[in-house]
Amino acid sequence: MILEIVVLVVKILVLVAILMGGFAYTMLLERRLLGFFQLRLGPNRVGPGGMLQPIADALKMMLKEDMMPAGADSLVYRLAPVIAGFAALSVDAVIPFGAPIHLFGLTISLDIANPSIGLLLAFALSSLGVYGIVLGGWASQNKYSLLGGIRATAQIISYELAMGLSVMGVLLMSHTASLEGIVLAQKAQGWFWLPQIVPFLIFMVTAIAETNRTPFDLPEAESELVAGYHTEYSGMRFALYYVAEYINMITQSGLIVTLFFGGWLGPSFLPPIIWYFIKVIIAIFVFVWIRATLPRFRYDKLMSFGWKILLPIAFLYFVGTAAFVSGVL
Amino acid sequence: MVGIFIIGILMLVGAVSVVVVRQPVHSALALIGVTIGLAMIYLILQAEFLAVAQVIVYAGAIMVLFLFVVTLLTAGKEEMEAEDTLSGQRWAGIITGLVVGLGLAVVIATHSPVKLSTALSGSFGGLHDLGHQLWGPYFAMLAGVALMLLTGVIGVLVLNRPDQVNYKSRLDLPSGVSLVDAEQEGKK
Repeated sequence: MILEIVVLVVKILVLVAILMGGFAYTMLLERRLLGFFQLRLGPNRVGPGGMLQPIADALKMMLKEDMMPAGADSLVYRLAPVIAGFAALSVDAVIPFGAPIHLFGLTISLDIANPSIGLLLAFALSSLGVYGIVLGGWASQNKYSLLGGIRATAQIISYELAMGLSVMGVLLMSHTASLEGIVLAQKAQGWFWLPQIVPFLIFMVTAIAETNRTPFDLPEAESELVAGYHTEYSGMRFALYYVAEYINMITQSGLIVTLFFGGWLGPSFLPPIIWYFIKVIIAIFVFVWIRATLPRFRYDKLMSFGWKILLPIAFLYFVGTAAFVSGVL
Repeated sequence: MVGIFIIGILMLVGAVSVVVVRQPVHSALALIGVTIGLAMIYLILQAEFLAVAQVIVYAGAIMVLFLFVVTLLTAGKEEMEAEDTLSGQRWAGIITGLVVGLGLAVVIATHSPVKLSTALSGSFGGLHDLGHQLWGPYFAMLAGVALMLLTGVIGVLVLNRPDQVNYKSRLDLPSGVSLVDAEQEGKK
């Protein structure tokens, strides 16, 4: 019993450490890649190849003054970045990032928890992340922040529906909502991206919208809203929003890999956990690639795209998958 | 057991502050706290799916829409006391609350607690069990609820249909003149 608790605590600490380190170096990776996409070098001065840039950035953020607007709602203003950070970190608890390992006579599964409703739990926790944005936007008492927060609400609500429908096919094919079960089902049936190619593409689009990244970064559209919902934030609170955004990207990459690309599965010359991380890094690269390539949506186009195109297609494919799985087709 | 009491107290505090707090956004936050507390109670009762559905539907969707409206309306942050349009509603509320509370207290005092059937299957409240229940014995109810929700959605669409005929009559336009024509007239 005590050993299990110790293992659990260690797993949680390791996961948070991996995610925070992952956040720092995802940001560096993104800045370097964006540089290369735009035919420039990107940050390469601090340390060899710019490898120490995240440490310099963190130091800068910690030393900045933490300001709060005079009219701000102090409780909600302080609470909002915490909610954003919590929602981003907690989702990863249910994502398995490797096959169970055997250590000291114990079988340790490489996730914090493996509930039978893991996928739904991931959705529930990530849906709480929008509160960080909308509350931060409201508490700043600033027009631009408020508009950013309100845009985020409408956008995330609209795209969450299509996202939920797009993973239904995966649920039907694997007969379970446990993420480990989904990976094991892909071991037997082959990776799901091929039979679920349309839902996979929809999930990719909605994942970008959920993480508020270009071309769906309207909540922080700098050409019209200054910086959107985090205009007034500075110092560590601002950094917390950044942490949330990048960890959300890592999380969504992990979900894409787990649901459609077989999670930790792969040829046996590399350990499963390495396969998982390779796949996640490829997914993150695609996220950055899309950011570097596509311009921002117009707001009404974004809404009609979500409701009139993504949602019906996701629904039709879901009905088709249901007919196929139940043997009607 | 202790967990249920702690969560229950937190939920009660949340529920009271929904009503008492002056700032509508704070009320909405307290309500979110209550829904999450309810989800935790479901979890303690091992109804995993219900707990997650509670968070996804109420905290993840409905309360977000509440906040959407409330943040828009209270952007100025003036804390105003709304005028009491219904005179005596406070007293009516207090008296009703007291009567209901007294009634509940009498029922609790006079009826000894009966142990309900605790023989629940292991998968109670899980995804599979709930699915079998809904699509098996309760399918007619499920279809009924689905029809009702569909009616509601269609009702929203019908009620919000842009009605150009009304616009014209409100502006007293002579027949045959469209709204665009009238606007251009005005610009000249």
